[in-house]
Amino acid sequence: MTEAALNAQLEELRRATLAGFASAVSLEELESTRVEALGRKGTLAQISKNLAKLLPEERARLGKLLNAVKQDLEQEYASKQRRFEQAALAERLSREWIDVSLPAPGLRPGSLHPVTQVQQEIEDLFTSLGFAVLEGPEVETEEHNFDALNIPPTHPARDMQDTFWLANGHLLRTHTSPVQVRGMRKFGPPLRLIAPGRTFRNEEVDASHEHTFYQLEGMMVDRDVSVANLIYFMRTLLASVFKREVMLRLRPGYFPFVEPGFELDIRCLICDGSGCAVCKQSGWVELLPCGLVHPNVLRMSDIDPDEWGGFAFGLGLTRLAMMRYGIDDIRLLQSGDLRFLTQF
Amino acid sequence: MKFSYQWLSELVPGLDIEPAALERLITTKTAECEGIERVASDWIIEIDNKSLTHRPDLWGHIGMAREVAAITGRSLRDPVELSALPPGEGRVRVEIEDLALCPRYSALMFENVRVEPSPDQIQARLDSIGLNSINNVVDATNYVLAELPQPMHAFDADKLRGDVITVRAARQGEQLVALNGETYRLDQADLVIADVEGPVALAGVIGGAETAISERTSRIILESANFQPTRVRLTSARHKLRTDASIRFEKSLDPENTIRGLARITKLFQTFAPQARPSGGVTDRGAELRVPAPIVLPLSFVAQKLGANLDRAELVRILTSLGFGISEDSPGFLTVTIPSWRATKDISLKDDLVEEIGRIFGYDNIAASAPIVACVPPPVDPARLYFRRIRSQLAAQGFTEVHNYSFTEAREVERFSFDIATHIAVANPIASNLSHLRRSLLPGIFRNIETNVRNCREFRIFEIGSEIHAGQGNALPNEIPHLAAALYNVQGDEQDFFELKRVLECVFPAARLTAVAARAYEHPARTAEVKWRDTVLGRIFELHPSLLEAVGIEGRAVVLDVDLRTASHLAERETVQYAPLRKYPTSGFDLSVIANLNTPVAEIHDRLVAVAGADLASIEFIRQYAGPPLVFGQKSVSYHLEVGAADHTLTADEATEIRNRIIAGMRQANFELRV
Repeated sequence: MTEAALNAQLEELRRATLAGFASAVSLEELESTRVEALGRKGTLAQISKNLAKLLPEERARLGKLLNAVKQDLEQEYASKQRRFEQAALAERLSREWIDVSLPAPGLRPGSLHPVTQVQQEIEDLFTSLGFAVLEGPEVETEEHNFDALNIPPTHPARDMQDTFWLANGHLLRTHTSPVQVRGMRKFGPPLRLIAPGRTFRNEEVDASHEHTFYQLEGMMVDRDVSVANLIYFMRTLLASVFKREVMLRLRPGYFPFVEPGFELDIRCLICDGSGCAVCKQSGWVELLPCGLVHPNVLRMSDIDPDEWGGFAFGLGLTRLAMMRYGIDDIRLLQSGDLRFLTQF
Repeated sequence: MKFSYQWLSELVPGLDIEPAALERLITTKTAECEGIERVASDWIIEIDNKSLTHRPDLWGHIGMAREVAAITGRSLRDPVELSALPPGEGRVRVEIEDLALCPRYSALMFENVRVEPSPDQIQARLDSIGLNSINNVVDATNYVLAELPQPMHAFDADKLRGDVITVRAARQGEQLVALNGETYRLDQADLVIADVEGPVALAGVIGGAETAISERTSRIILESANFQPTRVRLTSARHKLRTDASIRFEKSLDPENTIRGLARITKLFQTFAPQARPSGGVTDRGAELRVPAPIVLPLSFVAQKLGANLDRAELVRILTSLGFGISEDSPGFLTVTIPSWRATKDISLKDDLVEEIGRIFGYDNIAASAPIVACVPPPVDPARLYFRRIRSQLAAQGFTEVHNYSFTEAREVERFSFDIATHIAVANPIASNLSHLRRSLLPGIFRNIETNVRNCREFRIFEIGSEIHAGQGNALPNEIPHLAAALYNVQGDEQDFFELKRVLECVFPAARLTAVAARAYEHPARTAEVKWRDTVLGRIFELHPSLLEAVGIEGRAVVLDVDLRTASHLAERETVQYAPLRKYPTSGFDLSVIANLNTPVAEIHDRLVAVAGADLASIEFIRQYAGPPLVFGQKSVSYHLEVGAADHTLTADEATEIRNRIIAGMRQANFELRV
């Protein structure tokens, strides 16, 4: 065959194959067109065999054209193939549509009791300040609950506490303060401790009164502990609990185990002190009793009050949890009702 | 206790502070105000009685006036003029049986008394602070009670039999018809005022009706005494009779006030009962008045305790404004004398003086300051941290924490066939459901299930709380922390048991179960003991269906009860020791062991492990199967085993050999294999 004829064949192959690629509707059609043109036994291979019979300069010219045609076709094939694959992928992915708004199956986490949550938070705060966390029993001796806290048998303060008595003279602790006594006797001075736990008062239950509630006792005993230090710790505590600076005030309060004794009030968080129903228009809310540890209390736990002093406070965990979450009925806390408990 | 602003103003001349502002000052410096109320032209300030427990002096207006004077920097006018007392011998004979119970008894007779209504403004004043006006004589005694505070009693002198008043213990069986019309049966624990025939008053609490004054009375004997506070409190509690007098005597009143009271009433009679004339002088019997020891107060002590520096003049000013004396003023310390009205119980230590100084100085004037202390990590209670971890793990597994009461009652525990007699009894329960202390968390958990089935078809709850077991003899009870968890499902089946078992194994990874005989409240075929190593931790069981049926609950509940004291002790001993990773790959194969249906799978597992020995790298349960082609009563249990050597990769032949050895070993133990 002449150069001219081969040339024409190559040009025809380019045209026909490009047309074939263009009209292919599937990857398979595309492939068979490619095999026809570019396969081992395809048209291009046939033409290439005829090249041998040409003169060297003719072969060089035609060889160049052949390579150009081959390259063009391969390029076009690759690009068309990519388009088919992309379309196929897109199609497959679109078939994989899911409704993301469908509910996810399986279990949800439960929750910790609101009092536990508040308690753990305060434990963590005081642990970070170097306080040990102690626990004491629910059933206590009179000695721990009263005598060692400077509340002798004839003291009217025992009238203030409605106590659940047990048959053998033991009692259900009326406050977490007996853990002060246990802590002082166990560790000796200096010491820093808190004692969260369940306490009991023998009283009728209603929306704001419970016979069972949680307190958190705190105590620090060291060489030189002052009212100024107590104020410092109370500020730190309250800022942490309420996540903001809280204004506080100490006013005289009588508790036999502290001297001086205080009631700590905070500036009402609802009205910021301008007066509302929560603070009974006073601008202040009574939060916790505290004071410097009475020397008799130290002495009864073998700590020399001439060398050591301390402060103590009693935080109502139940009350704090109620304040934090706006719980208006104390009975819910021990109701075991999941409609309530799962909210926290 | 109610205070009249006008009355306070009379005792603090020139008081010009607004009543509402005064109320706030009293709250921050003295005692908690509960409110302030306008009554006619006066303001009534109400103080919380609880905040006055330790302050006998504040049960009268003069005590509060002294505070007001100290707070506002004014001076106090003492209304008592001792010179008003008539001179001469007392006409009343008094005998005191026990000076400890009646440290002082003063009396004064008046004659020519005309009993009539008090002047209107006196009636109004008493009424405004909650004291009913009776007649001029009683009103005068009440006036002194509300002012000094000294409770007094007026006897009709002509109704007293004999010529001597005796303060003595009541005799068993004696009775007193009191002013309130009630009859009280007395015993030796009661202190009475008696004439020769019998009791005429219950000391410190209430007078008798027979000797009360009336419109026909013309001679009266005024009693102004001091009684031991505890005895008054016990008598008042025993007879359930709290009076304005008993409330005050309980607080340890100032014995100086008996005479001051008589002087004050003598003066008051000039207005209340102008015709009345004293008959003779004052009778005053009792123990010698105790002079309280002065307190040496180092100035450095005040600064150290308050964390604030007050100058010496300020300290002296505050203490003297409250009635304290400075007997010695030396460099570095003050010697402070205690006034009689603060000495009965309130003030005896230098710490007490720090409070006096601090509150008047104002706690708001003390700046917060961090203490300088050693930085040491606090001692840690591992059990507490362990419980916390368990709580968060259970919550992550869908369990919600409940708090149940430490109380229980017969009805609740009998459901579980517990004997109520083994529970500690509460001596003074206020309600029947508070009669005993719980020695198991299960009745509480059962109550929670009852509560929640109404609203939830399926739920998970847990509690960490103490079982309270009676101690030996007089020892405190043994309080054992327990975990109780329950999984309830209205459409429950045996899978619930395995779900709770799964949770158990997440929380206590070393726990293993063994089937045990069920207790009355446990499903007889679905109960296991939980062990950690060889120690029993607790039990896991399906609640006996009849317990739920008995209260009309459908569905099933699986329950876990674990002794956390034991668990935390074991957990503390657990240590992690790294094992080197295998250097050479292992070979794996499956084995299916045929066994009787009721052969525990654990037994097969343990046997495989024992037979495989050191070659075994891991073993994993795949499934169990019962049905054709197995004969009825048999099951096939399949495992995937990986075997290997520490020093080389096993050849195919070696792996086959191990497998054959295991099969042979199982056959020796009478387990056929599906090969």
